[in-house]
Amino acid sequence: MEKNKPLVLIVDDNSTNIDLLVNTLKNDYRLGVAKNGQKALDYTEKHLPDLILLDIMMPGMNGYEVCGKLKTATRTKDIPVIFITAMTETAHKTRAFEAGALDYITKPFHTAEVKARVRTHLLLKKAREHEIYIASKIQRTLLLGQPPRDINGIQIAQLTIPSQKVDGDFIDFFKLNNQCFDLVVGDVMGKGIPAALLGAAIKSHFLRVLNELIRLTDKKEFPDPEKIISSVHSSMIDQLEDLETFVTLCYARFDMAKYLLSFVDCGHMRTIHFNADSNKCSLLRGMNMPLGFPEQEPFKQTLVSFKPGDFFVFYSDGLTEAKNQDGVLYGEKRLVDFVQKNAIIEPKELIKMVRKTVVAFSQSDIFDDDLTCVLVGIDKKSNSQALTDKAKLEIKNDLKELARVRAFVRNFCENIPDFPLNNNRISLIELAVTEVTANIIKHAYGKHTDKQIQINALLLDDKIVLQFYDWGKAFDPKSVPLPVFDGSKSGGFGLHIISHTVDEVVYSRDEKGRNHVCLTIYK
Amino acid sequence: MKLSTDKIGDVIVVTVLTKILDASNAEEFKIATAPILEKNNKVVFEMSQIKFMDSSGCGTLLSFLRQLKSSNGNLKLCRVQEEVRMLFELVRIDRIIEIFDTKEEAVKSF
Repeated sequence: MEKNKPLVLIVDDNSTNIDLLVNTLKNDYRLGVAKNGQKALDYTEKHLPDLILLDIMMPGMNGYEVCGKLKTATRTKDIPVIFITAMTETAHKTRAFEAGALDYITKPFHTAEVKARVRTHLLLKKAREHEIYIASKIQRTLLLGQPPRDINGIQIAQLTIPSQKVDGDFIDFFKLNNQCFDLVVGDVMGKGIPAALLGAAIKSHFLRVLNELIRLTDKKEFPDPEKIISSVHSSMIDQLEDLETFVTLCYARFDMAKYLLSFVDCGHMRTIHFNADSNKCSLLRGMNMPLGFPEQEPFKQTLVSFKPGDFFVFYSDGLTEAKNQDGVLYGEKRLVDFVQKNAIIEPKELIKMVRKTVVAFSQSDIFDDDLTCVLVGIDKKSNSQALTDKAKLEIKNDLKELARVRAFVRNFCENIPDFPLNNNRISLIELAVTEVTANIIKHAYGKHTDKQIQINALLLDDKIVLQFYDWGKAFDPKSVPLPVFDGSKSGGFGLHIISHTVDEVVYSRDEKGRNHVCLTIYK
Repeated sequence: MKLSTDKIGDVIVVTVLTKILDASNAEEFKIATAPILEKNNKVVFEMSQIKFMDSSGCGTLLSFLRQLKSSNGNLKLCRVQEEVRMLFELVRIDRIIEIFDTKEEAVKSF
């Protein structure tokens, strides 16, 4: 129970005053006492009291200075301070308020007045905290969307540090299909619950507009980001004008089929694009005004192509405007340099490091503004679905088809970027698939040339997988005699060739009587 | 399948005019070669046109070798492409059939 009582710090250099205040408040609160300004700051830093009663005239640091210092530190600036002093002139009182005091009690004081004022300010503080609690709940549940996990070839990592004062940072993701998703990061001008609610409203507008536009357009084509922004803007402009606010945002579409980013930037922080080929960062500049500006040119989108290994950093001003103890901003340049230096690190780790470095810079893990950052990393190895469609070939049970099988496999292998297969290696793979296919044609279906064989080529992380399916006779590789190399036999080399030209070969048959040969080639 | 022949002394050089020698045409190759092997027992295959060969092609060459040896002759190869040479090493044909860089060397070796 004791713990739940608010903690009040009494700062005074006079023992009689201290005793009097302690006796007045000890039944209702936990109390701390500091006899000079420095001790008051140390105590506050360590225990974070709920309220401070502060004497003005003290040896060393006076009350104004103590209050001024408390108000500049993010951790302590919201602690209510009540000055208690014998100085009664208006000028002194005014100066106290200027230093950040919430209230002022003159000595000699009535204990009932002290009790009443302390109680009132603690109730107000509690009310403010409750508002922050509600606002941060709104933020967590309504404003921050969760990234899609199953977009091929892409990794998304997200960082959010809510500030003590909630503002209207919002993030959302809209998955369009397995290769395409939209990301919107935005910031509503203003703070507290109104900004948070407006942020949530904008998010729902995006969902609604996206839905309507998708319904109206051809299902194969998604509405362009510039069209989406235009619709959201025209449906919200009256509301934004009424509230006299505006919204900066960046709406970005990642298309993994084309390796293309199309984005509409409306006065938001410049997105960082790390280019793996040149090992350099570029800043993506948009050309649109924030949402809420009435005179708006048509919104324009910008196209940026990307490559395996590239990544993008989207963030709110809370990140670049994080301050250190001397009031210096973290800044865009520091962020770009940091990203550039650590570009080799995976998004999930890199985002943790972004957090660490900003916390280290500001020497605090509490920030004035919400801090949001989204990292979108393009996998270093391109995936088959994205670049070389997962390839499929159906052939007839005829030896004349062998050339087609080789051409299919060669074409697949030659069109994988960043997968080092030299011509000899591809020739050996051609040899393996010829042997596998010829075995199936000669043995599985007898002489029926109208039967089908299906071949799939897949590129997984670090390997190529070639799958052969037929519905013919079961095949047991153990039944095949070992090859003889003395020239006395003309056949029996097929399995030997297959197992020596690819890294792995597996023969199997499923319950439906389908034979499966699976060849694996590692990078 | 087209073959061109060139008789140098008692050796016949057969140039195989196909890019591919695999299960789809090995039988055709055998049939086209049969008349040549009936009349000659010292045979060189000039392989420079062949970019791809599989185990069926190897098997055919080995059957030719056995046939020629049984009539006291021999089979030699020349101008084998790298892709085909990799296959020969895999099935160790390079240890059984002599392979030469040039036609002249192959002819001279008999």
